Amino acid sequence: MSGFTQALTRGMWREIPPFRLVLGLCPTLAVTKSADNGLGMGAAVIFVLVLSNFFISLLRKLIPAKVRIACFIVVAATLVVAVELLMQAFAYPLYQTLGIFVPLIVVNCIILGRAEAFAAKNGPLLSIADGLGMGVGFTCSLTVLGALREAFGAGTVFGARVMPEAYQPVAFMVEAPGAFVCLGLLLAAMNALGRDAGQPPAGCRACGACYEAAARREGGA
Amino acid sequence: MREIAAMLVVLSAICGASGWILASLREYAAPLIEEQELVHVKGPALRHAFGAFDNDPVRERRRVALPDGGTLLVFPARKGGRLSAVAFERFGEGYGGPLGVMVGFDLSRDALSGIGITTHRETPGVGSRVTSEGFLVQFQGHPFAKLGLKAAGGDIDAVSGATTSSTAASRAVAEALRLWGGIRPEIEKAFAGEGP
Amino acid sequence: MKDYLLLIVSAVFVNNILLAQYLGNCPFLGCSKELGVALGMGGAVVFVATLATAFTWLIQTFALAPFGLDYLQTIAFIVVIAALVQFVEMFLKKAMPPLYTSLGIYLPLITTNCAVLGIAIIAQRKEMDFVTAVIFSAAAAAGFLLALLLMAGIRERYEVTRIPKPLQGTAIGLVTAGFMSLAFFAFSGMI
Repeated sequence: MSGFTQALTRGMWREIPPFRLVLGLCPTLAVTKSADNGLGMGAAVIFVLVLSNFFISLLRKLIPAKVRIACFIVVAATLVVAVELLMQAFAYPLYQTLGIFVPLIVVNCIILGRAEAFAAKNGPLLSIADGLGMGVGFTCSLTVLGALREAFGAGTVFGARVMPEAYQPVAFMVEAPGAFVCLGLLLAAMNALGRDAGQPPAGCRACGACYEAAARREGGA
Repeated sequence: MREIAAMLVVLSAICGASGWILASLREYAAPLIEEQELVHVKGPALRHAFGAFDNDPVRERRRVALPDGGTLLVFPARKGGRLSAVAFERFGEGYGGPLGVMVGFDLSRDALSGIGITTHRETPGVGSRVTSEGFLVQFQGHPFAKLGLKAAGGDIDAVSGATTSSTAASRAVAEALRLWGGIRPEIEKAFAGEGP
Repeated sequence: MKDYLLLIVSAVFVNNILLAQYLGNCPFLGCSKELGVALGMGGAVVFVATLATAFTWLIQTFALAPFGLDYLQTIAFIVVIAALVQFVEMFLKKAMPPLYTSLGIYLPLITTNCAVLGIAIIAQRKEMDFVTAVIFSAAAAAGFLLALLLMAGIRERYEVTRIPKPLQGTAIGLVTAGFMSLAFFAFSGMI
């Protein structure tokens, strides 16, 4: 059972995305204007990631190696459309605020990255644990980043006031520049904290390369 | 050859399964989505178009037949169970595309209860100011006479610098008013006597 | 004509796809260490994004919308883009070897570049007509290329600069991007 726990907890700290595993930066930057947006986006990613890991792991023996990326994309896209429909039906305001980033979950490198690096090689149960761990880690990161930006940029967290009345909100934090700077500094803080300064997967040239890099790391571990 | 066949079969099977799953999910979710869209897109505009009301206009909406054969989605406002106003949406051609206006009619007198903007694609900060309280409040309780921009002989002030967008809103109101004369009896009949 | 000019300026500077709309950040940080790499990646994105937007526009208008299949937009677009990237790669290899050698290695990475899918979806959500959509996509991708080149220029200087250890790599890249984004904010006064 230790493999299961390991798969579950790996994504929550040791390889927590997007800090240790620099994947999926676009939604991280775009939707973290407030803590609840971050949480909502994270929930959508958990849903897609867990199910895509599960299905891909079930189908891994059937999928021919040459078309595996195409198959992964179709599975992920199906789940993303399902999330879009469900979100419209049950959480319309969230759908409105997340906007274009809901369909863009499909190109979030975390989804394809975990499919390639983990689900394609492991059983369904382990894959679910991995997806859940990574998803929860991602959600925590988004929520923390969102809470930070909301606290300094609007003086609230989850809509509740945390800063004293006299605090003058720094609009910089909720705008695009604040997103980049805030994430950069958090990343630096994580690096300073980590024992072996957790560098991003080597040579992360583009999202497509990320999962190759991740796969290599996985193979080595 | 066998390899290619396997690829094709697997890929098409996955695509087929995904299509089937999504189609059935869509079947299930479509009515819910329509409801949500009405609540969150038309809802705020309805609150603007009606003054005070204590019912749920979105839930009590009705389709009313138009004289030209089409139908119109009408939302009722009730106070203490009595029908006080109704609203429906009309469009005017704005700067960036169609501008949707929810026009509310006060049933107790010949006047508007108010208007609200549903959808627009006007320039942020310029044309989008037609959604501002200052512009919309001019329509609240406005009698049918002189209902138009000052430039067109009415007494509504256009949003400065956003004449096209203001004209679009006022056109939509005029269009609603034109329709109202013909269908008022129809609408009153549709909502008659039925309170919660 | 004036409208198109405004559209181009807006897409390249004011609503820069990278610095204002947060799309395509992974390659932005990954491919901006050398100018040559940045140019290759940016060029490939301009090429594919323009083609992809044209194709997805046609698919949306003639295949999805008439049958009420709008909800399949995401899945249709990503599959089209993936297929398109494959074809472009094969075509370039056969027909234009010099271009292939400069863009080739970046093409497979573009399928999962959210800027490409993002531009196609934005063009669709803003209900642009065909010509506008194509011009918009080319301009937005050019904005991506511009930001990528600027970033690469700055990061080449970082190679010879002493940076505190925790900030090295992606962290300093993000902070730099933040200040570039702040600079691009100034353009919003232009329109």
